Amino acid sequence: MSSPAVRVERVTKRFSGHTAVRDLSIEVPAGGIFGLLGPNGAGKSTTIRMIMDIIEPDEGTVSLFGSTERSRNLSAKVGYLPEERGLYKKMKVLDQLIFLGETKGISRSESRKRSNAWLEKLGIADWAVKKVEDLSKGMQQKVQFAGALLHDPELVILDEPFSGLDPVNSQVMKDVVVDIAKSGRTVLFSTHIMEQAERMCDRIVIIARGEKVVDGTVAQVKADFGGSFVALGFSHDKEKAERILADTTLIEKVDDYGATAEVKMATGADPEALLRALVQEGVGLKRFEVVEPSLQSIFIAKVGPDAAVARRSGGDGSSEEGILPDVILGAAEGAIHVVGGHS
Amino acid sequence: MNKIIAVIRREYTERVRTRAFILSTILLPVLIVFTSVVPALMMSSGDRTSRVALVDGTTNGVGEQALAALTTQKLSDKPGALPRFQLTRFDAVGRVAAVQDSLVAQTGFDKGSKADSWDGVIVVTDDAITSGKLNYYGNNVGSFESMGRIQSVFSRVFATSRLSKSGVDPALVMGAMTPADLQTTKVTDGKATGQSGQTSFFIAYIMGFILYLGIILYGQQTMTSVIEEKTSRIMEVLASSLTPFQMLLGKVVGVGLVGLTQMTIWGGSVFLVGSNRDKLASVFHVSADAIQSFPIPTMAPDLLAVFLVYFALGFLLYGALYAAIGSMVNTVQEAQQTAVFVTVVIMIGFFSVFALIKDPAGSLGVTMSFIPFFAPFVMPVRWSLASVPTSQLVLSLALMVIGLLACVWLAGRIYRTGILMYGKKPTFKELFHWIRVG
Repeated sequence: MSSPAVRVERVTKRFSGHTAVRDLSIEVPAGGIFGLLGPNGAGKSTTIRMIMDIIEPDEGTVSLFGSTERSRNLSAKVGYLPEERGLYKKMKVLDQLIFLGETKGISRSESRKRSNAWLEKLGIADWAVKKVEDLSKGMQQKVQFAGALLHDPELVILDEPFSGLDPVNSQVMKDVVVDIAKSGRTVLFSTHIMEQAERMCDRIVIIARGEKVVDGTVAQVKADFGGSFVALGFSHDKEKAERILADTTLIEKVDDYGATAEVKMATGADPEALLRALVQEGVGLKRFEVVEPSLQSIFIAKVGPDAAVARRSGGDGSSEEGILPDVILGAAEGAIHVVGGHS
Repeated sequence: MNKIIAVIRREYTERVRTRAFILSTILLPVLIVFTSVVPALMMSSGDRTSRVALVDGTTNGVGEQALAALTTQKLSDKPGALPRFQLTRFDAVGRVAAVQDSLVAQTGFDKGSKADSWDGVIVVTDDAITSGKLNYYGNNVGSFESMGRIQSVFSRVFATSRLSKSGVDPALVMGAMTPADLQTTKVTDGKATGQSGQTSFFIAYIMGFILYLGIILYGQQTMTSVIEEKTSRIMEVLASSLTPFQMLLGKVVGVGLVGLTQMTIWGGSVFLVGSNRDKLASVFHVSADAIQSFPIPTMAPDLLAVFLVYFALGFLLYGALYAAIGSMVNTVQEAQQTAVFVTVVIMIGFFSVFALIKDPAGSLGVTMSFIPFFAPFVMPVRWSLASVPTSQLVLSLALMVIGLLACVWLAGRIYRTGILMYGKKPTFKELFHWIRVG
């Protein structure tokens, strides 16, 4: 298992004057879950499309499993869930899955068997003979998910797999992803929801504006980021904490979520001093815990203004329509506009 | 290869299952039966023996002569056919108007509702012989066949009467006036094919029409199918596991097979209707005779082979071009605008068929047989109308295959860039860039 599942080497991709990905190198080791993180419009989907050989990089190379073959020729070993979900709307669910299996090179009968098994596993077996257009969006996504995994790929590439899913379905998908990793296969997924990445990924790469900002295992990234962090949970009298949290000798930065907050202690400040101050002031505390920095805070610190823009416009993450304004302009100005090429 | 088959199968089964396909496939045979039976039903009043009263106001026996001639008219040429008319003559010299009125009063009732009613009343007088004008009152005036017979019988009787009045032997004149009847037979390689000129013409026209319609209709389906895949965004999943060539070829062949299926069903039903006319006639209670007016085209096996080969090649060529157009655009409206370029070429091919029917061996036809875009229309038509040298056929087919490969290659180049492009339609410059870079 020496060769990495995916190796992206110094890749650059431009779309009519706008550079979507710049000199990006990523190595995804075989086995485990790898997170490709970044704000909307950072170049995640473009990177994934280049890995999938759907678009070709202008510069640099992509190789899978250390092979020199093009990704499409290795498609039997790769499962792909694109960011833009799409199925044949008029086709029946089972027929659709069988067809998707066949395009990956498994036989029709085998494909039928596996499709049924997957529909069972994802709890949508009752819908097998319904047309895709009659299904809810969440169910369609499950079908597509099944279609990507039908052929037991060694490498699974999921572009924003959890966007648009309710918590229950999200959980089902998460379990499937974890199972794949447990069986020794590789999962590469992109997301801009940090909590999810933090809980699931072994390694992450954060990219912004097409360039790599952070790379490493989650633990390593956190250690490198440094500093001491405290997670707070308030039960009552939160307003009394305002003054203490504003004290720059004690606290460097506050990430306020309302009922909870994550604070970065000022250099040399003692978390216990903070606890004392809060208790004295009469702030009702549900939680006080010295923690590692969350990926969220690392992300915001590293990516900065990009994330702010992304959050303001994207929000739910179900679509990448509200991407960075400059990127939209860049893409719209040029005559050619590759789908999602801005992200 | 298995992947291409999977694409073809998907394209085929999904299309064949659609309501539009099932409806159009069933409706046309129904329409064929309808169009062959309904006119027969309409004419059926003329296809049973009509009771006709002949009001005879002539003084020189013209009425009797007409009566005798009309009585020999049969409903069909077959032996044992029923007489067309059952005639009764009423001598009405001097009181034509009165007899006519009383008979017309008994005319035009439904069969059975009034016994002894007449289907029609013919009124003939001495004046009619000179003026040529005679009257028929009846409920079956729409029966062209019967009216035509009555008219031709009286024309002859009147002519005979006029000629003998002028002292000319009517038999001599009639003999001299026998019209020429041109019997045409198509000859191929020195052998008569048994096809008459008229059937050849008919087949040529029908073939041209089927090719035109088939290529336009199904070619545009490949185009809309590509657009659907683009708008439903499944293209990206497909593009990650299929090559553009597999997608393009699978789609065009799949749609082409659907077209072939539909045409086979249609052609088969035309054949069945044609060969079961008698049964059909009895089901609808019309005479077998009336339904004969519906033509069944028959095709010689070699012509059918040429037709099918050119249809397949032509469809693949145009289907690939239409698919490439589908990949360049995002909406059906845009596609229609762009597809005009291809449609115009198809129309030129189709309309050239009309020119060719007049002169199938001319230089226009020969030249067009060697242009891959037109050969699918031109060659089958030429084959059906004239004898085409084998060398020409081989050259035409070879050029056709080369043209086809070139078009598929070109379409594939456009396709693989186009399918993942959303947004503005490419300019010619960009298109050229896609083809060059790929």
